[in-house]
Amino acid sequence: MTAGPYGALLDSVRGVRWPAARRVSGATLGAHPSKLRGNSSEFSEFRPYRQGDDPRRVDWRLLARSDRAYVRLTTDRATLRTAILVDASASMAFPRPELTKWVRAREIAVALAAVAHAETDPVGLTISGAPAFTLTPRARRSVIVEMIRALDGTTPSGSAALAPLVTGARAPRVVVITDLLGDLDDIMAAAKLRIAAGGEVIVVHLVAPEEIDPPDEALLAVDPEQPRMRRTLDGAGRREYQRAFAAWLDDTSTACRAARVRYVRAETSEPAAHLVRRLAGEAGVRGR
Amino acid sequence: MTFLVPWALVVGALGMAGVVVLHLVARQRPAAYLLPTTRFIPDRRTLVSRITTRPRDLLLLLLRLVLLASAAAAFARPVLSPSRAPRARVLLLDRSADVANAADAIARARAVLADGVPTQLIAFDSAAVLVGDATRALDSLARDTAHVVRAGSLSAALISARRAGASLAVTADSVELVLESPVAARALDAATDSVRARWPGRIGIVRLSARSDTAATPMLERAVSTDDPLAPALAGMRVGTGAAAIRLRRTALDARDSAFVRGGGAVVRWDSAGPMPDRAEALAMGDDVLVAMLGRGVPLARGRTIARWSDGATAVVEEPIGAGCIRTVAVSFTPAGDLPLRPAFQRIVRGVMSPCDAATVFAPADEAALGRLRGTGALASAAVMAGDDRRSSPIVPWLLGLSLACALGELAVRTRSTRELA
Repeated sequence: MTAGPYGALLDSVRGVRWPAARRVSGATLGAHPSKLRGNSSEFSEFRPYRQGDDPRRVDWRLLARSDRAYVRLTTDRATLRTAILVDASASMAFPRPELTKWVRAREIAVALAAVAHAETDPVGLTISGAPAFTLTPRARRSVIVEMIRALDGTTPSGSAALAPLVTGARAPRVVVITDLLGDLDDIMAAAKLRIAAGGEVIVVHLVAPEEIDPPDEALLAVDPEQPRMRRTLDGAGRREYQRAFAAWLDDTSTACRAARVRYVRAETSEPAAHLVRRLAGEAGVRGR
Repeated sequence: MTFLVPWALVVGALGMAGVVVLHLVARQRPAAYLLPTTRFIPDRRTLVSRITTRPRDLLLLLLRLVLLASAAAAFARPVLSPSRAPRARVLLLDRSADVANAADAIARARAVLADGVPTQLIAFDSAAVLVGDATRALDSLARDTAHVVRAGSLSAALISARRAGASLAVTADSVELVLESPVAARALDAATDSVRARWPGRIGIVRLSARSDTAATPMLERAVSTDDPLAPALAGMRVGTGAAAIRLRRTALDARDSAFVRGGGAVVRWDSAGPMPDRAEALAMGDDVLVAMLGRGVPLARGRTIARWSDGATAVVEEPIGAGCIRTVAVSFTPAGDLPLRPAFQRIVRGVMSPCDAATVFAPADEAALGRLRGTGALASAAVMAGDDRRSSPIVPWLLGLSLACALGELAVRTRSTRELA
C-alpha cells in the first residue's frame, strides 16, 4: 500500500477503534456487536428452552444440575459498512492558496477510512461534484490507496448538492465531511430518513479559522460558489459577521442534534488524527 | 511678481492640502478575497475608507492640485511689477492765497519727503496740478515768487489725490495722504465731505500758518446815489477813503481809476447801460444763485472769474493791477421791479463790492470740519485704492484657462475611474 504523504497520519491512527453507535445487523463476522445471537464463543446469557430451539444449544450441564432446559446464548460480531462523503464544492477550496480546508477534509476522510478498514469494515468514498465520484464500500486492502488517489486527484469546484449523495449512500454508517455551506436543509432531511431506517449519520463540520476571524484589513469578500455575491468586510461589518456566523454555527449544531445526527465541528487547525480519535472515542462511549 | 489679493493664495494652499489629505484617505473598493461565508456579511456599501501613506489616483490628484493652484493664483491677482513698496505717499501742497509763507510750506514739504517714501506731489489752489518729480517740483515752486490771489479748493485737491493714489496703489501696499495747508474755511465746499469719503484711509494734516487778516472793513469810496438800483444792497456800507476803499464806477474808467487801483484800491466797473434783458438767466457767485431777468454784457477774457452764468460763461472777473484790482461786472438788469430788493441780488452785489483778493480775510475751518477731513483708521489699502482702476495682470486669463482645462481633465479622468470601479 502506498500511503504517500498520508503515512504519518495513518501511523498516528493505527490502533484506534471506531465502534458502531448501536448494534449492527450484518451477518458477516466483524468487530461490531451484532443484533444476532449465535454460536460464537462470547457468552451472553441463558434463556429457557422454547420449542423450535436447536437442541445442540441446550446447556446440558445446567439441565443436569437444575432439571430445567436452558439455551446458551452468545453475542455475534459483524462488520459495518461505512460510506464517507466528502464535500468538494468550491467553498472547500479555502483559504487560498493553502486550501487548508480541503487538505484537512482529505486527511479526515483517509484517516476515518483507515480506522474503519482496520476493523475489517467495508469502506466506500463519495466525492461530490458533477458528476460525483463514488467508490462502493469494500474491505479489500487496496481500498485506502484508491481513496487517496481519488481525493488527491480532485480539485474543489462548483456547488454540487450533498443531500442526494447522503440519500444514495450504500452503507448504514455515513460520514459527511463538509462545511455545510451548501444544501444544509436537504442534508438534514436526508439524514433523518437514514437514521429512521436504522442508519447512522455523522457530520464532520469543517470550519477554517479564517472564517471565524477574517483578516483585519478591509476586504471585498466574494463567495466562491456565488461569485456575484460581493460584500465589503470592514470594521463594523466584521463584528456583525462574526455574530451572525457564530449564531449560524450554534443553530446548525442544534439542528443536527435534533435530527439525531452526530455533529462534530472541526477547525482546520485541529490535526486530522486528533479529530479522528475524538470522533471514534465519542462513538465508543455512545456504543457501550 | 506680487499679488493684489494674497489671501487667495492662502485659501488655495489650504484647499490643496485638503485635496492631498482626501487622496490619502483611500475610499475605494478593497481587494477581493474569496470567503465561503460571505453570506454572513451584512449587505451594505461596497466602498471603504482607509488612510494610506501614498496618495491614490496620482493623475487625478495632480489635475486637482494644478486646478486649485492656477485658480488661486488667478484670484490672487498677480502683478508683474518688479518691486512693491510697503508705502507710498500723496502730498497735497496748498499754494493758495491762504498760505502766509510759501517758502515755509515748501520747507516743510521737503521735510516730509526726506524719509524717501515714493511721493507724488500735488500743488493746489483753486485747481490741482500733479507734478512729476516732487523734489524738482519743490525747487521750481520755491523759485516762483508770483503773488497768488486764488483761494484753495480742497475738493479739487482730493479728487487729484484719489487719482494719484490709485496709480500709486499698483506699486505700494498702502498709500498715505498728507495735506499741507492752513485749511481755510473757504477751501471747503459742499462737495468736500463726499470727495473726502472717496479716500479710504486717514489723512495727515500739516497745518501751515495762514495769511493774517489784513483787510479792513470794506467801505465805499463815495456814497451811491439813492437813484442807483444798487443803493439798497450797499446801504449798510460806510463811506470813507483809504486803501480798503472800493470805488464803484457806473461808466468807463479813466486814468485816476488806474492810479487808485495801483495804490491798492479796488474799482468795480458796473456799467449802468447794457443790453436789456430779454430772458431769465441764472447767475452764480459762490454759494449764491440769482435767477432773474438779466442781461449779459460783453464777456471778458482776462482775470479771475468771480461769478458765472449758468452755462459757465463769465459774468464777473477780477483783474489784479498793481496792489489793487479792477472788477468788471458784465451784468445788466432792469432798474424797475423788485430785483434790487431781493436778498440774493443784494448778496451778490455785496460780494462784488468786496476788497481785492478776498482771501485776505482768512477764516480757518472749524474743528468738526478738520476732524472729518482727517478721518480715522489706518492708511489707505492699496487693494481698496486700486478699485476698478487697477489693471488685471495679462496672465490671469491664462491661469483661468489652465484651471478650466484642468477641471475638464479632472472630470474626464474621474468619469473613467468611476466606470472602472463600477
